[in-house]
Amino acid sequence: MIEVQNLTKEFNGKTVLDGISFEVKEGEIFGYLGPNGAGKTTTMKIILGLLKPTSGNTLVFGEDIGSNDKLRRRVGILLENDGLYEGLSAYENLDYYSQLYGISDREEKIKNLLDFVGLSDRKDDKVGTFSKGMKRKLGLARAIIHDPEVLFLDEPSSGLDPEAQRMVRELILQLSKEKRTIFLNSHDLDEVQKICSKIAILHGGTIKAYDKVENLRNKFSKPIFEITLIDTADVRNALDILHSLDYVSDCEEDGLRITVTLKEEKSSTILNVLVNKGISVEEAKRLAKSLEDIYLDIVKHSGGER
Amino acid sequence: MSRNKIFTVAKKELKGIIKTRSQMLVGIFFALWFSVMITIPVVIMVEGSAVVDHFNNLIFYLVLMLGVFMAYLFSGKVFFEEKREGIIETLLCTPLSLREIWSGKVVGVTIIAYLIALLATILITIIANIFSAILLLPSPAILFHIFLVVPAFIAAAIGLLGFGHFLLGMRENQILNISIFIAIFFALFFTKNVISGGYAVSWVEVGVLLIVAVLLLALISYLTRYLSKERIVTTIP
Repeated sequence: MIEVQNLTKEFNGKTVLDGISFEVKEGEIFGYLGPNGAGKTTTMKIILGLLKPTSGNTLVFGEDIGSNDKLRRRVGILLENDGLYEGLSAYENLDYYSQLYGISDREEKIKNLLDFVGLSDRKDDKVGTFSKGMKRKLGLARAIIHDPEVLFLDEPSSGLDPEAQRMVRELILQLSKEKRTIFLNSHDLDEVQKICSKIAILHGGTIKAYDKVENLRNKFSKPIFEITLIDTADVRNALDILHSLDYVSDCEEDGLRITVTLKEEKSSTILNVLVNKGISVEEAKRLAKSLEDIYLDIVKHSGGER
Repeated sequence: MSRNKIFTVAKKELKGIIKTRSQMLVGIFFALWFSVMITIPVVIMVEGSAVVDHFNNLIFYLVLMLGVFMAYLFSGKVFFEEKREGIIETLLCTPLSLREIWSGKVVGVTIIAYLIALLATILITIIANIFSAILLLPSPAILFHIFLVVPAFIAAAIGLLGFGHFLLGMRENQILNISIFIAIFFALFFTKNVISGGYAVSWVEVGVLLIVAVLLLALISYLTRYLSKERIVTTIP
């Protein structure tokens, strides 16, 4: 549905995007992660036809939407600016955009959307009197007024207070359940973790990681295990055994729990070794690495934030 | 280009300007103030039938200049503010083409600027007749000027200003705005000197001005082909 092929963008001789490629399939919620200034918004603007690539292609529905006015009917956007006119009311803003998209049952549609974002009681108030969170919600309503198949959201909850952030995230989650394809630009890892099924991490103009969230966790997680013993008398013995193994890099003890970091994948072996040496193990589990850990690892290994 | 889309944009711009009361009041105030302050001395100072020529010359020049001034005043809000606030990016992602957006804005601002110019014409005529011993009415050539040349010129001015706002960066736009404001203000301030040359505006002047307005419109309309979304987006602050 969205294809980015070998995309390069230079501004005044400076390379912002350096041959990036990825694909977002129909119905996916794609999180495009990266620190501020990494080139996320530039990528989105190129896909939307607002900027021209220096080289490479971006396709939505198999075509360049920048040069196809009709194709843009199938796409909804919420950029950094909400795209709202402060001098007009909430209703008038939605009415204007619904006319631009040629929607026939405008009144009904606007009413439903205002209900959806919880702004029905403020429909006649000028947008200039709204809080940032209310504007963002109305911006979301504006972005979906024409029932787009693909939704591009650029930092939708950025700069909002925690309450407004939660409300905007809930709205996006609701939208994701409607089988829309969502392209989400964000540097908020918590947001991406909660919403997205697939992510790409952009840093230094290149894609450093691109996969499903779970696959990335597996790929980037070092094998860390938490082993819970039954008997306290076994703890010292177990630690000695674990330290003697050459594929164990670190062990930390906390009561009956031992956290073991391995140099390589030997999860089944380690458990067998302990049991064979007479250690009673109650539970052994692999510790999941958070997206934040993965992201920070990638950014750190790429030379820090630019 | 779709006429419906252009009128949708024009309607919204009209509504936006009317709802911005402060700007509307400034526009109307300037139109009324210049009409009153310039018309009274022009009519009082001239004696006999020469007042007819002066009256026609005054409408020919003053209404045109006021129309251009309104074009300047309102196009700043419609083009410049929309770009400064970044709303233009969202608009560029709708099914509208860049030329449809530009055209819609030009139509919307032209309507409101022209209505104020018409209001100034009526006021000038009323004030001139209050201070004149003879009945003063615009000549056929001046009527043609008011109903055709003035709106065409206003549209050309708005088109050109809009083109500039889209094309240039914020600093260049601010310099351009100040320069235009000073130029229009002086042009209005020296109205008396411009119109008291002892001549009468005829069909020739009106015709020439119409040709200039149409040529300007055609030129600007052609130039918009060279406007790009990238140029607009990269000049947003």
